Amino acid sequence: LPPQVSVINTVDTSHEDMIHDAQMDYYGTRLATCSSDRSVKIFDVRNGGQILIADLRGHEGPVWQVAWAHPMYGNILASCSYDRKVIVWKEENGTWEKTYEYTGHDSSVNSVCWAPHDYGLILACGSSDGAISLLSYTGDGQWEVKKISNAHTIGCNAVSWAPAVVPGSLIEQPSGQKPNYIKRFASGGCDNLVKIWKEEDGQWKEEQKLEAHSDWVRDVAWAPSIGLPTSTIASCSQDGRVFIWTCDDASGNSWSPKLLHKFNDVVWHVSWSITANILAVSGGDNKVTLWKESVDGLWACISDVNKGQGGVSAITEGQQNEQ
Amino acid sequence: MKLKEIDRTAMQAWSPAQQHPIYLATGTSAQQLDATFSTSASLEIFELDLSDPSLDMKSCATFSSSHRYHKLIWGPHSMNSGERVSGVLIAGGENGNVILYDPAKVIAGDAEVVIAQKDKHTGPVRALDVNMFQTNLVASGANESEIYIWDLNNFATPMTPGVKTQPLEDISCIAWNRQVQHILASASPSGRTTVWDLRKNEPIIKVSDHNNRMHCSGLAWHPDVATQMVLASEDDRLPVIQMWDLRFASSPLRVLENHTRGILAIAWSMADSELLLSCGKDAKILCSNPNTGEVLYELPTNTQWCFDIQWCPRNPAVLSAASFDGRISIYSIMGGSTDGLRQKQVDQLSSSFGNLDPFGTGQSLPPLQLPQQTAPQSIVLPLKKPPKWIRRPVGASFSFGGKLVTFENAKSQQQPGIEQQQQQRHHVYVSQVVTEEEFLARSNQLQEAVQSEGFVSYCQRKIDMAQADFEKNVWAFLKVNFEEDSRVKYLELLGYRKDDVRKKVNMPGSCACVKCFTDGYVDGLITQTLLTGNFESAVDLCLHDNRMADAIILAIAGGQELLSRTQEKYFAKMQSKITRLITAVVTKNWKEIVQSCDLQNWREALAAVLTYARPDEFAALCDLLGNRLESEGDSLLQTQACLCYICAGNVEKLVACWTKARDGNSPFHRSCWLS
Repeated sequence: LPPQVSVINTVDTSHEDMIHDAQMDYYGTRLATCSSDRSVKIFDVRNGGQILIADLRGHEGPVWQVAWAHPMYGNILASCSYDRKVIVWKEENGTWEKTYEYTGHDSSVNSVCWAPHDYGLILACGSSDGAISLLSYTGDGQWEVKKISNAHTIGCNAVSWAPAVVPGSLIEQPSGQKPNYIKRFASGGCDNLVKIWKEEDGQWKEEQKLEAHSDWVRDVAWAPSIGLPTSTIASCSQDGRVFIWTCDDASGNSWSPKLLHKFNDVVWHVSWSITANILAVSGGDNKVTLWKESVDGLWACISDVNKGQGGVSAITEGQQNEQ
Repeated sequence: MKLKEIDRTAMQAWSPAQQHPIYLATGTSAQQLDATFSTSASLEIFELDLSDPSLDMKSCATFSSSHRYHKLIWGPHSMNSGERVSGVLIAGGENGNVILYDPAKVIAGDAEVVIAQKDKHTGPVRALDVNMFQTNLVASGANESEIYIWDLNNFATPMTPGVKTQPLEDISCIAWNRQVQHILASASPSGRTTVWDLRKNEPIIKVSDHNNRMHCSGLAWHPDVATQMVLASEDDRLPVIQMWDLRFASSPLRVLENHTRGILAIAWSMADSELLLSCGKDAKILCSNPNTGEVLYELPTNTQWCFDIQWCPRNPAVLSAASFDGRISIYSIMGGSTDGLRQKQVDQLSSSFGNLDPFGTGQSLPPLQLPQQTAPQSIVLPLKKPPKWIRRPVGASFSFGGKLVTFENAKSQQQPGIEQQQQQRHHVYVSQVVTEEEFLARSNQLQEAVQSEGFVSYCQRKIDMAQADFEKNVWAFLKVNFEEDSRVKYLELLGYRKDDVRKKVNMPGSCACVKCFTDGYVDGLITQTLLTGNFESAVDLCLHDNRMADAIILAIAGGQELLSRTQEKYFAKMQSKITRLITAVVTKNWKEIVQSCDLQNWREALAAVLTYARPDEFAALCDLLGNRLESEGDSLLQTQACLCYICAGNVEKLVACWTKARDGNSPFHRSCWLS
């Protein structure tokens, strides 16, 4: 059965320039958008409506990405921009305000991603100056900064955290003491590499270097955990290729890539569904396609999202081969 | 920020966009001499390895050439067909020759790297360009207005674009149009630019700025607009870049006056048409927006003039600049800090030398003390506005409930030069992705149930809809979870109804039936009663089945009341000699014993009373026994009654009894007793 993709809400953001990101919060009730017009807007989109809750100004350049923190910390949104800043916004008593501003990067900050809530309130930021910063909230309005310099020469384009999994959690029952998490995240950069970083003794170290792309890695996305010991990362690149990387052993040592597809144009963004079985791939000229892994391990395109029309064109075999 | 440096005095050419990894080819320049006044020439290929943070660029191959070059370009011809995996290097030599090299062979170190060469031109070939649509076509320009169009598939016979322009002039620049494949422009140092149409084989327009004298050093077509081009002037009196539109060719559309001295070279980025690089005799390398004239970026360079500047086709943020001090520098316009580089070099050195004096005296090196300098800011600010290649135009992300959030930025029809206020709608779409329609309906129901807290009815519906037994059971259990008295209901689901079991047990005739069946049945029944917590029935069953021990043990567990009842039943059932005594001991019913015991056993009865009777009933019991003995017993027993009366402390009766026993005895005894 081809999937149904039907538009249930069209939000007219009134942004004055290109939109670069749109993210729903954890419960799917609010939508945050950011644009080249330097603003970040938050809408209430319950029941198909669109009410502008906040128009946040503070950036001095196009805003590239927004990321919602886990609701247990309150209503918190992070944004990163070409103006080299990362701003963390918080809703206090119904109004949204800047709660922290980080200016430690020398160039455009391209990506922000919150760590799994189990680790605390930690934000990873990737920048065109090649560095990745990790901002951790330590309480009382204070943030601690750890920086990985030269993570990717000439620029880091994307960061994505691995889901929180306590080693062996499926088998052992933690006996009430704080679990010993191994924190990991993936990053993609202008050196055509995907790198995996691991925290050891409070220091971040490069654990793996995944080479398969022949041009800039535009985005990486670590699939949500479904309880199995396998880890999956999707990466997409300027070279039009999307790879699915899987690692079967829990130690994270051997990653093997599988080519999802080679598109004819740059692929900008990859995003996993909550249950990790569908991958949304955004590329080229406003093309968004949905991909799913079949039981025999092959990835197939299950939908070609035509926006504005809200229709579904289930891609036929012929079309798929053409691509 | 500076990425790499090569110490060569050379003409440079980047590998085409399709080539991976990225190479930079350099050919010894015919125009410049280096400090050694060397006349040797070589063609060299370097690899751009950005994962290596050092400033050095890896040299992959060197080919010692017999020519020095005025121009070098790298085209992608035959890359797709696989014939030449790395394309073709086209070089313009000092003696009018155009030479074709195979870069793949150069890299491989072959001796035979020249594909072909032709000495068609009369003077040094200073201008070369590859047609981006038909990559087999190369235009070359030299002295005396000579322009040839070469077909790389048929290199022997080049064409001309038309009649030579008069007066005969050197051709300093040549460029194919970026939108229309048959249009070619050529420029001379005097500033006269001719635009040729190759289909008609004649010039279609001549552009020249009559008001000014300019020395044209650079020509570039607009990447997006077919009729626009820029011309750069090397003349210090007019150090400008002129933007021309051929539809209005009498004077420039716009003049960029950002340099203070003549411009030596320009390069227009194919990735973002708002980035035009220019380098000049003011030792500056600027990146400007040709559509507005604004300077977006100034590269931090040393004080040398750059004579050649190129964008890297594959990596749009990278550019190379060749300067007169014999160096080619590779930069990134994305900003960044040079501190990391410097530190890396220091680290590399110290790792080689360790802390020890390399000259073997065994002394450690003194710490490095850098003189305090007012060093220029090590942080390089990026372009004022973000280049096109980092502005993400499309994206999609999933949200809770199978929702997909997508956005698009509709491409605006740009007409640069004409101010247009376009109201663009920027929409975000929230879609519902459903891989199964049924699923959607179900999730909606679930959401409703969650919101309205109508869990019980939701589960009931599920039970009704369920097809497999297992599913039914699962939903039934879930439903019970939300109901009250859940544990009882769970039991019922499991098939153990308290009432049913009770009925079963109490069924008349069931006891008789019990005997008919095997023990298994009774076991089963007992199990059922126990699982429903029905101790009474279980005990009954055991008693009926003559499982006395089981019954009593269960009764103990069932509470004191049950125990007493069970004891009664037990005693009712059992008839053994000492049962009565046991009963009496347990039930503490001594009266019964006393009343009904065999009078021959009066001693035992009295003993029992003495041992067990409570103080308050002791006397009465003894009395009772005595009475019995008197009334029922024979004369012998009657006398024994006295003993009982003594125990009871009942003096009168005792006296009466004794008197009777002694019957007509002397009053003497009586009086003895009385006293």
